[in-house]
Amino acid sequence: MTEEYQGADPKLIVAVQMISIGIIIFVLGVTVFLLSPLDKMTPFIRLSSLLTNGSMVVTGILFGIGGYFRLRKVKKTKK
Amino acid sequence: MYSDFIITGIYLVLMFAAGLFFSRNIKNTSDYFLAARSAPWFWIMGSIWATNIGFLHGYLAHGGAAYEWGLIQANFEWFQGPFGYILSGIFFIAFYWRAGIFTVPQFLERRYGAAISTIYSFAWLIIFVVTIAAELYLGGMFLKNILHIPFWPTVFVLTAVVGTYTLLGGLGAAIMMEFVQFIIMMLGTLPLLFILLNIVGGFAGIKHVLISQWGVSSQYFTVLPDIHHPYGPGPWIILGQCLVVTLGWCAGHQSMVQRNLGARSLYDAKLGYVAASIPKTLGAFLYIVPMIAAPIIFSQFGIFVEKSDAAYGKLILNLLPQGMVGLFIAGLLSAGLSSISSVLNSSSTMVIKDFYERFFVKGKSDHHYFIAGRIATFGVIAVSLLLVPVVLKVYLIMWLEQTLIAMVLGPFMGVLMLAIFWKRANTPGSLAGFLTGGAFAIFMQQVMHINIFFQISWWSFVVTLAVTVVVSLLTKPPDKAKIEGLIWESDFKAKLGVVVSQRAETNGTRVLAVPEIKIHKPAWYLNLKYWATAVLLIQIILLFFFG
Repeated sequence: MTEEYQGADPKLIVAVQMISIGIIIFVLGVTVFLLSPLDKMTPFIRLSSLLTNGSMVVTGILFGIGGYFRLRKVKKTKK
Repeated sequence: MYSDFIITGIYLVLMFAAGLFFSRNIKNTSDYFLAARSAPWFWIMGSIWATNIGFLHGYLAHGGAAYEWGLIQANFEWFQGPFGYILSGIFFIAFYWRAGIFTVPQFLERRYGAAISTIYSFAWLIIFVVTIAAELYLGGMFLKNILHIPFWPTVFVLTAVVGTYTLLGGLGAAIMMEFVQFIIMMLGTLPLLFILLNIVGGFAGIKHVLISQWGVSSQYFTVLPDIHHPYGPGPWIILGQCLVVTLGWCAGHQSMVQRNLGARSLYDAKLGYVAASIPKTLGAFLYIVPMIAAPIIFSQFGIFVEKSDAAYGKLILNLLPQGMVGLFIAGLLSAGLSSISSVLNSSSTMVIKDFYERFFVKGKSDHHYFIAGRIATFGVIAVSLLLVPVVLKVYLIMWLEQTLIAMVLGPFMGVLMLAIFWKRANTPGSLAGFLTGGAFAIFMQQVMHINIFFQISWWSFVVTLAVTVVVSLLTKPPDKAKIEGLIWESDFKAKLGVVVSQRAETNGTRVLAVPEIKIHKPAWYLNLKYWATAVLLIQIILLFFFG
């Protein structure tokens, strides 16, 4: 049996998933923020928009950082 | 409009790229079909919710029904969903884990034999293919209406994105994307509720306008209407929907169960299911409550809505500014894509595990079935794509899906309950019960012209129970050794984790070894009982206010 048939490391899978999720959410949050015409919105809608985009950016960063540390831990354990 | 188009495009590109990136880690059938049993509880939570919420069973169809019938539609989110999630999470999932299976039909096969399992698999495969076609159709129509882009190119792009990441990455990619979609749906579509409530003066404002000024019936604001309600009479909601349909959906729908089988431990599987009932409860605030307020907004803005399914799109186009519409579209696309990917992955698992490996090509290497799984995924999405024009022209296919679900869920719950709780239930009994229950569901729908889905499910469940019990008692009891570990016993917990691969081998079925059960005391904030109690308390409060 060759190495490619061996299953993936579950911890590695979770780390990769976290990083991917973080990148997608972060990029989407930033894109929506940059493309939103905040100056044309009513105050209530502007606040809603900023809260939504801010939450997405923060969630993305947190997942990215969490995934990075998990990945580092998995690689250290392998060594 | 231009910025909304860019946001939607970037979202689809990111999904596609992440799927490709993730797929490098997938190497065998366990990775592909069960995500290497890696998923922590919060993955399961987000994934199950996203699986459950789509265009069809969520924003567009449920939202449209709420626009027409009112708060009754919220009982899916506030009562039945959480009820089914908690019972399945605490109870049924443990049996599936203990049996070391990939699919729900494999459990039925162990307990009752191949016939009932094959019928069940086949019925669900048809439902799944129809579901994918309907989701693609609704996705294409939604983008066509909102962004004014042609229908077929949109459907092909959606198919390519979701097909690629599910085909290459399997359950792991599907779970990952579903979690992204869970976040985007939550964050992207929640602002609509606050913006709406701000305009109409809160929930009290909606009630005041609709009841006092427009003379709408108070039944529009209750989740459990009286027996004469044409859409969902309260008693049938409790009996048919809570006890049969929802429980059958949560314990018998391959997509829902497969996410739990991919958990890193049994505890994660259970907690993920129970925790998913919290976003499920919140779901009503994303697409039910806004749709109840929608008539007031349409009246204020002078908007005409020709079909209730189109109400949601009209609402966001007229209320939200650029940018937020783009995010909202991403949120709604997430709902559709997550449903497609989960059903697609489950279909390919069933094709390989319940048909290909069992009947056609036995005893090949794991790598062979891994590649076959990818080919099956491609086949299922291709067949679904071919069905889209049929959905486009007639609603026959939707009728087929509803009929099959009504036929399958009641009988399934009947035989599953007896499988677990009654040692005497045997193969002839279950087969007779399942087929009679299914036939009775068709009879009620086609001959008696009963259109209340919950009522059909309840009576088909009762008929299945009765026939299974009678025929089982009249025939030979099942072999004790064969059903060991699959039925409820007082020392079930102590026996949890017993490997049943020996029995599986004698049955001629390849199975995954039962994962090692690690018993450890969870942190207090992850205690299953606390989560379940919190959800039940929320349900009682909601029932008190809206029951």
